[in-house]
Amino acid sequence: MKMRFLDYLGLSLRSLRRSRMRSVLTIFAIVIGATGITVMLTFVTSAKKIAVASMVKTGEIRQIQVAQSTNLSYDPTGNSGGNGGGPQSGSSAKTTPLTPALEAKIAQIPHVVAIAGTLGRYGGNGGTNISYINYNGKNWVLEYITGYQPTGAMTPAVLAGRDLVASDKGNQVLISSNYADLMGFSKNYAKVIGVKINLHTVQGYSGAGATLPSQLPPVRQCPKNQNNCQGYGDSTSGLPAINIPATVVGVLDGGQPLLMMPMDSFINILNQSQPVRVDFGSQNRQQNQNCKPGVPCQPNNGNGGNNGGNQPPTGPGRVIGGWNRPSTSAFITSQGGFDSMMAEADDIANVAAVAAKIDRLGVGTATGLKALNDEKTTANIIGLGLGVLGLIALFIAALGVMNTMIMSVLQRTREIGVMRALGARRKTIRRIFTIEATAIGFFGGLIGVIFGSTFVIVAKPIIIRLAAKSVSLTGASFTVPPLLMLAVIAGTSTIGFVSGFFPARRAAKLDPVEALRYE
Amino acid sequence: MEGINLSRVTRTYIFGNEEFNALTQVDLQIASGEFVAITGPSGSGKSTLANIIGGLDKPTSGTVTVNGQDLSKLKDAALSAYRNKTIGFVFQSFNLKADSTALENVMLPLIFAGMSRKKRKARATECLERVGMSDRMSHLPNQLSGGQRQRVAVARALANKPSVILADEPTGNLDSARGAEVIEMLIDLNRDGITLLVITHDKDVARHARRRIEVRDGLVHEKGE
Repeated sequence: MKMRFLDYLGLSLRSLRRSRMRSVLTIFAIVIGATGITVMLTFVTSAKKIAVASMVKTGEIRQIQVAQSTNLSYDPTGNSGGNGGGPQSGSSAKTTPLTPALEAKIAQIPHVVAIAGTLGRYGGNGGTNISYINYNGKNWVLEYITGYQPTGAMTPAVLAGRDLVASDKGNQVLISSNYADLMGFSKNYAKVIGVKINLHTVQGYSGAGATLPSQLPPVRQCPKNQNNCQGYGDSTSGLPAINIPATVVGVLDGGQPLLMMPMDSFINILNQSQPVRVDFGSQNRQQNQNCKPGVPCQPNNGNGGNNGGNQPPTGPGRVIGGWNRPSTSAFITSQGGFDSMMAEADDIANVAAVAAKIDRLGVGTATGLKALNDEKTTANIIGLGLGVLGLIALFIAALGVMNTMIMSVLQRTREIGVMRALGARRKTIRRIFTIEATAIGFFGGLIGVIFGSTFVIVAKPIIIRLAAKSVSLTGASFTVPPLLMLAVIAGTSTIGFVSGFFPARRAAKLDPVEALRYE
Repeated sequence: MEGINLSRVTRTYIFGNEEFNALTQVDLQIASGEFVAITGPSGSGKSTLANIIGGLDKPTSGTVTVNGQDLSKLKDAALSAYRNKTIGFVFQSFNLKADSTALENVMLPLIFAGMSRKKRKARATECLERVGMSDRMSHLPNQLSGGQRQRVAVARALANKPSVILADEPTGNLDSARGAEVIEMLIDLNRDGITLLVITHDKDVARHARRRIEVRDGLVHEKGE
């Protein structure tokens, strides 16, 4: 008949109990290492899970950012690497412009479910023609505005409200949190949702919403001592500034002052109508940009009126042939294409292949997946570093286990002799000692996991509070993964087993006669 | 063949460059159910003889056969099973596990035999009753007197119903009254058919044996009835 495992275990545990203090101290050394490893690896795996979860939730994991720049790094806001000089614009060797035609080509690539172009402009003259935001009688300068096609491919993170959706055909806007703060909603972003604001244009505005008269108001003359004459001297420069009403639908999570709106509405504001021809009548002039500070604007031989002269036109001009406006597509092309585009693949598995196909069109790509993988690699490296520290602690603990077991064999030499006389095989002796050492590792790991889990539970609110300034970890799951628990316990048990192996073999090899004589 | 049969058994120890024969060409037959006292001065080789018969040691040359089994041919597993089933050891210093109760000590050889918990408890209880220790079963060795400890040790030797009991100076640590009790107990077991080998240099103990063997300088001398 063979001895049962439970009997081995009983004999091993009994001897652990007998040398209680020694066992506790040896186990404690393992506990330190196991606790360290549990805590460190939990935070690393949680960080990875949070990154994945947030990217999966927003769909960023399936996003492919497209830009003219070929050395592109992924940015979920779609701002980097563009040609439009956005806040994070990267310089680049320019390749193929991101025209609507190219967009159509990308949309044809298999596994592309959505694509969205983005275009960004600074506020004021020469940019968006919107100079400030007006709400409740107060004005704030518009720093930057981005239009994007709300196809679902772009998913800016919002703190309140929602992203733009395809049905947003009007002037729905997302405002950055600092605009919401300025507007007095810093305590409660949810309340700003649905609020009506005005986008106040510059003078001379002839985009969407502007009244396009047949008689133009007098041309604006660049005042003396003014350095920048942009917005002056054009035939349409006398048109009045207007308020374009807009509705806030979401508050953006991000630091820079920014407005986002649907691409079509944005283009409608940017894409200014121009008179086909303007007759300034007696003034015999058609007006254009040749303005210098302090000097009345000079006419050029542009598109209308009688032949040029030296006198700048000042009086109202008459529009002949109506107003002309390029098509949206032509306008975007004339602007050098989109700043960037965001494509969305149907599945994570297809992201790399789709990105490669887009690359072949002569543009640069960056994927959320790759960014995530880079993040994961970083987390893994940190985890590895921390894990090595834990392993060093465990290695020292392993030496402790070995020492304890050698002491135990010496102390119990006579007992080993007696057991051999009573019929214990060499194998039996070896197993009793090996199980004893493994049990030290097992209990060390078990207690370490309990300590580690407790630490994680206690430290979780503190970490979330500390991290709140840089990242939102609300609802993040900082829990010790069950697999990690098992791995730690299995690992420390193995360490115990290995440390106990040689002392156990020594015990098994003892000559029973010698062992019985041992004092 | 039943009984113990030693044929030309020599056990040589090597100390450095010197060889020392603990036993020299020993021939010895012990029939089943015999009570044999093995006497001799310290270092004469009587413990070596007992260890070889008990399967704890192997002869340098010669053969040892117990109940037809040639011990020199047995591997560790079979030799351990032999010690477990055929031999019951009783030691001078009792050699009980200090952290285990009387019952647990008696159960130890039954654990090595692979007996189930229920069965071994029943068997150990039976053995302790046999040696008159049924009221001390849950006592630890340090809660027992010397005589009681040796009774527990005898019960432990009996656990696997051995055919041979090897008692090495069983009364060496006991006063004469307790020693006599233990010897009585062993004789009682011998009456039940168990072969009893008692190693002693106590002449009073040796006198109880029907056969006395003296080991001197590695040689065996029969002392007669």
